[in-house]
Amino acid sequence: MNGPAPISIRDLSVFYGDLQVLKNINLDIPAKRITVIIGPSGCGKTTLLKSLNRLLDTAESVRVQGEVVLDGENIYDPRTEVTRIRKKMGLLSQKPQVLPMSIYENVAYGPKIHGLKSKKDLARRVEHYLKVAGLWDEVKDRLREPASSLSVGQQQRLCLARGLAVEPEIILGDEPTSALDPQSSQNVERRLIELKQEYTVVVVTHILRQARRVADYLAFLYLGELVEHGPAAEVFANPKDPRTRAYLTGEIS
Amino acid sequence: MNGVANGHLGKRKRADVFFRVLATAAAAVVLLSLLLILGTILWKSVPALSLSMLTHTPKGGFYLGKEGGILNAILGSLYLAVGATVLAFLLSLPLALYLNLYKGRASKTAVWTRFFLDVLWGVPSIVYGVFGFVVMLALGLRASLLAGMLTVALLEFPIMCRAIDEVMRLVPLELKEASDSLGATRFETALKVMVRQCAPGILTGVLLAFGRGIGDAASVLFTAGFTDRIPSSLADPAATLPLAIFFQLGTPFPEVQQRAYASAAVLTLIILLISLAGRAMSRKVTRHVVR
Amino acid sequence: MRLLKDALARRAMSFVAALPGILVLLIVIGLFLKSKAILGVEPLSRLLFSSAWHPLKGQFGLLAFITGTVWVTVTALVLAVPVSILAAIYLSEYAPRWVRESAKPVVDLLAGLPSVVYGVWGVILVVPFVGGVLAPLAGVYSSGYSILAGGIVLAIMTFPTIIHVTLEVFASVPRSLRDASLSLGATKWETTRHVVLRKGAQGILAASVLGFSRAFGETMAVLMVVGNVPAVPRSLFDAGYPLPALIANNYGEMMSIPRYDAALMTAALVLMLIVLFFNVLARRILVRVEKRIR
Repeated sequence: MNGPAPISIRDLSVFYGDLQVLKNINLDIPAKRITVIIGPSGCGKTTLLKSLNRLLDTAESVRVQGEVVLDGENIYDPRTEVTRIRKKMGLLSQKPQVLPMSIYENVAYGPKIHGLKSKKDLARRVEHYLKVAGLWDEVKDRLREPASSLSVGQQQRLCLARGLAVEPEIILGDEPTSALDPQSSQNVERRLIELKQEYTVVVVTHILRQARRVADYLAFLYLGELVEHGPAAEVFANPKDPRTRAYLTGEIS
Repeated sequence: MNGVANGHLGKRKRADVFFRVLATAAAAVVLLSLLLILGTILWKSVPALSLSMLTHTPKGGFYLGKEGGILNAILGSLYLAVGATVLAFLLSLPLALYLNLYKGRASKTAVWTRFFLDVLWGVPSIVYGVFGFVVMLALGLRASLLAGMLTVALLEFPIMCRAIDEVMRLVPLELKEASDSLGATRFETALKVMVRQCAPGILTGVLLAFGRGIGDAASVLFTAGFTDRIPSSLADPAATLPLAIFFQLGTPFPEVQQRAYASAAVLTLIILLISLAGRAMSRKVTRHVVR
Repeated sequence: MRLLKDALARRAMSFVAALPGILVLLIVIGLFLKSKAILGVEPLSRLLFSSAWHPLKGQFGLLAFITGTVWVTVTALVLAVPVSILAAIYLSEYAPRWVRESAKPVVDLLAGLPSVVYGVWGVILVVPFVGGVLAPLAGVYSSGYSILAGGIVLAIMTFPTIIHVTLEVFASVPRSLRDASLSLGATKWETTRHVVLRKGAQGILAASVLGFSRAFGETMAVLMVVGNVPAVPRSLFDAGYPLPALIANNYGEMMSIPRYDAALMTAALVLMLIVLFFNVLARRILVRVEKRIR
């Protein structure tokens, strides 16, 4: 493996029916960094994130134009195998979505469907990624219990472990802390910062302070338009577009 | 490594395609069975279908292949179903209103009442038929239009009531409160707001129950009797379309069996019409109801 | 005056609210009272587990009819459950919206067709098919009026019940849960199987039980194609004689033999209680499913 690849978004437009929710987005997402996408709710942040692993395919009457290039391959090319693309990315959703199975099976699910058969390898992998997600000590004695018995904060870290277990290159987070209490949020944020050593991380958030804490690279979306992007420190210190400035100072939200 | 992975992926993709095809085929089976039933009935009915069949009562020896039509059964069924539907409506509307206005929607009474309605929905129509017969005997009634109506009304009641209830549950409570705050008593609220707001939905429920009522045979088998004449009073026995079909098919004469097919086509067309009318109504519901 | 009217309406309505419960009770009690004439003299075990049905000799064993009902119903479910669930999977997971929308009237119409129409269709098409095609293929003789014919007709009649409930169950599984599985690189089928079906397992069970209780009590359509021979069937190609058919064919004419009358009432009571049991079971499961999802 060559390590995580950067993602290039080229002229990306997304339509829901007649409504254009993303307008001609061009963005390069750097590898091994945390890129944070900010913007008011309804600006298309989640749509942009979902376009990265083609989850938009599952919605009806959605049309995508443009390219998303990963490892030199346009993921919207009809010849591209979508399950392979998605395997390269782990997704953390707003509310933790644990699968209706045990804690162990949740993490083992991905590797299993991708063909990892040996019980020993599976067990090792489950343990490893539960440790990476910082959950192992809390659940090691109750791996066979249903995942729904965990607290919401634990569930979100379980989802992280589950996403990591398919050994992706990229981690996508869709407001991954919005359903969590402050302590659990902090815990998840800390994991994300650790993970950028090995993964490309893209996080959507509407919490500005969270963006300041974790972002290396920042992109500001407003009404479906990519208004400004650049290294986080630069954008925060010296926003060029008046709309970005207004958003950062809380004038628009 | 890559080769192995590709082989595995190939297997997974084949499974995906296989089950997609299988599921599509299953849906096609369901659709085709409907088309097959409608097609068979209509096609088989063509030789015996005639206008005179609809406008004449059976003459002597009709069931042996002689002259006549099934007007008695058509009218009998219509009378019976209309009567039963009116009776069922008189029970269903108040109960549905009660469940949605007087009692909190999630109150214990409401939950239990809905539960028993669901249980009643599941009671086989033959059991209603037997029960109706028992009650009929206890009251000293003979098999008649009235007894049939009462039995079919029991059968229709849970169907209609749950259908109306489902529509009323969609009405936002603020609407009710708005009317309450203007000083209207609950009774007025109930009648004016709910009924007007749900009118198309109520009609759909009524039509649904009417369709079930007019098509049911087992419940009228013992209770409505059977006769070649058109009933002239509630105490007369009444022929019904489903039973006419059943009896005609039970004869050993091919030409009478042909008429059974034709009668089945008539019944099917009636049901189709009712169902189309119900659809048209339910489309209106979504347009006019404040959500 | 207005207040009086309100109070009156309220009184009347609380009576109406009690009606469904009272009605269920009345039916069970009424059937029970009418069955007493035979329940008093014949031991229940002989009524239920003897296959000797000789009304003129005073023997009223219901076993042949009970097994007939069970055979027909089980045959119907074996055919209907997989087809219905797969069809529901197609409609909820694969079909484009317009197909899903236009499938609804089809399912509704299938549910709304009168059972005599199903019966007529069965006589025209299914009975000759079983007698002329399937039986020779299986190497047996059959008139076609058989358990299998009853099962096929009944299966189609139960499609709408099972599909309808299963679709509701599938719709209650959140999209984001499917997305979670898909985003791990699972195919659509893997997601359906491991997530949607698993999450909906109890609901699907309830749907099947509901289908079972619906099929169990169906009378006319089955009566018309099943043959009505009062013997315990030994194969799918044998004729059977389900309980509802027994009641429909004989009740009302057998008043002259009092015990006969009571035996048929017992049959109706058995039918009612079995249907009631499965119906309540299905509702309970569904209520639990609903609670868990909320």
